[in-house]
Amino acid sequence: MGEEGTEGTVHLLCLAASSGVPLFCRSSRGGAPARQQVGPWRSGSPKLEGLPFSVIGSLNGVHMFGQNLEVQLSSARTEDTTVVWKSFHDSITLIVLSSEAGTSELRLERLLQMVFGAMVLLVGLEELTNISNIERLKKELRASYGLIDSLLGDSELIGDLTQCVDCVVPPEGSLLQEALSGFAEAAGTNFASLVVSGRVVVATESWWRLGTPEAVLLPWLVGSLPPQAARDYPVYLPHGSPTVPHRLLTLTLLPGLELCLVCGPRPPLSQLDPQLLERWWQPMLDPLRACLPLGPRALPAGFPLHTDILGLLLLHLELKRCLFTVEPSGDKDPSPEQRRCVLRSFYTLVTAVHFPPEPGQQEDKAEDAAQQPQVPKACYLVSGTEEPGTGWRLVALQSGPRRLLLLLSAQSPVHGLRGLATRTLHALTPLL
Amino acid sequence: MVRAGWPRDILPSPCPIGCPAMARPPAPGSVIAPDWHESAEGKEYLACILRKNRRRVFGLLERPVLPPAVAIDTASYKIFVSGKSGVGKTALVAKLAGLEVPVVHHETIGIQTTVVFWPAKLQVSDRVVMFRFEFWDCGESALKKFDHMLPACKEKTDAFLFLFSFTDRASFEDLPGQLTRLAGEAPGVVRMVIGSKFDQYMHTDVPERDITAFRQAWELPLLRVKSVPGRRLADGRTLDGRAGLADVAHVLNSLAEQLWHQDQVAAGLLPNPPEDTPS
Repeated sequence: MGEEGTEGTVHLLCLAASSGVPLFCRSSRGGAPARQQVGPWRSGSPKLEGLPFSVIGSLNGVHMFGQNLEVQLSSARTEDTTVVWKSFHDSITLIVLSSEAGTSELRLERLLQMVFGAMVLLVGLEELTNISNIERLKKELRASYGLIDSLLGDSELIGDLTQCVDCVVPPEGSLLQEALSGFAEAAGTNFASLVVSGRVVVATESWWRLGTPEAVLLPWLVGSLPPQAARDYPVYLPHGSPTVPHRLLTLTLLPGLELCLVCGPRPPLSQLDPQLLERWWQPMLDPLRACLPLGPRALPAGFPLHTDILGLLLLHLELKRCLFTVEPSGDKDPSPEQRRCVLRSFYTLVTAVHFPPEPGQQEDKAEDAAQQPQVPKACYLVSGTEEPGTGWRLVALQSGPRRLLLLLSAQSPVHGLRGLATRTLHALTPLL
Repeated sequence: MVRAGWPRDILPSPCPIGCPAMARPPAPGSVIAPDWHESAEGKEYLACILRKNRRRVFGLLERPVLPPAVAIDTASYKIFVSGKSGVGKTALVAKLAGLEVPVVHHETIGIQTTVVFWPAKLQVSDRVVMFRFEFWDCGESALKKFDHMLPACKEKTDAFLFLFSFTDRASFEDLPGQLTRLAGEAPGVVRMVIGSKFDQYMHTDVPERDITAFRQAWELPLLRVKSVPGRRLADGRTLDGRAGLADVAHVLNSLAEQLWHQDQVAAGLLPNPPEDTPS
């Protein structure tokens, strides 16, 4: 489990369900499977170099064959690859193939949900369900490639998997919260947030009420884009407003720190000029600067964490927010990438196998789980090696709406894991 | 037009010598000292838009800081970058801002703006002015799909930057249409044409005679930029800020020149042109 990482590739296929016409194909290796070396600015119709057409045809064919017999083919495994199919609104079929070690159906299913969410976000549900002109749709979908590629690639965030919003805890949250609410009112919208490298610092109440997947996708999108001073992007909210576009406005207050607004026709971008921003945010300059290092760290400087902790994922399943960091004791092995990978796999394992389903996932199952007399509250795992006393420790704890996952160094005594996790969860509880 | 209030409301100083008419752009180098950025003094000023030899990225709450003794005025301008889809608008703006040019082309989702600061020296008064260019760049399909995008980009713009690619004939042939469509209704706005991927002359689709003919017909400044990636620093990864600036200085200087000149004409500080654009 400890060895997965950069090995393996994820291929994503998108087809029109009725005709089987491929709409696009992306891969985790450098985005476009067709590394369009000639004329990189003229990506015409999607080329499907990553996978031969016959493979794409077969993958779609076997799924359609099942459907005709009223059999829902959802996943398959070969020696080194996991395949997951999913149809959306009987109009779009997404197929994902992953040869990444330790991949799971849960991860791939959620990936497909996010990918479809990304398509709706940038193209709108109407275009995806009433396909009148397939060539035009292909062209429009190009706008979503950047976001989709970032979902397929390695990210520092985990919201794609947990479906909870990646957050950070700022040192002076209430000050920023106040300024944000005031600014949002002045700008004439209820939906506002501050985002640092794709993670939400503070947000207005209405912003927090955004549904899944847009609550995860909007900050993710902002974090995945190259730096711009400001943006005015049309977005469809996959849950809240899939057919009527809204506007996502972003304003880079400091490099890496963006003020995001979701609004209707007003205000125009030009109205949110530097004068207005300075009036509201210049007095907040120090608290804003203090947010900049929070990206990978998530927790305020000086927050007491046990030195054995190498990585941490705290989820609030009702608020649908999470804190994720692999920064503690950053000087030790394993690398941040490895730590993220191990924690992601561990999250998938405890979520798919051990813990009751998360609220909002599959409601009927959740009810069943509540009635079960035995619901696991904690679980631990030693990873990386079979030699006793040398593997990293992983521990998960469920308490009320919170779930804490820790990655600990091999020196951490196994008998103390539960106590350490309980104390850490207790200390983190006021933060999320 | 110098917009009021940020960070200081300034008007260009009167120009003592006669300048050409409004429709005709000023002669290159007549308003802005062309190679000043390479002089010792220029390099000192450039230091405020660099950090450790990289281009500094400024948030909207920030601006270049100069020692109080050399504090200079800032002139802000909005520039709308227009051109056929895939021609490299986003890449050009990234190059001007000293940012990494994306390897893979991703359609721009909507409007995005980029701020570029550029100190330049006025020929006439020997005064240094900090130019603040706000480039507005919008994805072609968003422009077509959403009605509010184009008006937002055109609103109060100070300049139109028309981009074509030397490797894409259609993007060059698209120019006259765009010029009439966009700039026709905004006569007092600076218009400039930029041809990108000029270094790929092996694949050029736009021969020199066409450029000459275009120049004669439109009397617009036409600049060329290369598409080769900028030089890197010793670490092999980060872009060399100074080298990047040297690559785009002619574009930034030319923009500064046109815009400053246009401001003076608009403020009535230059002899009024007898006629508008010859039709």
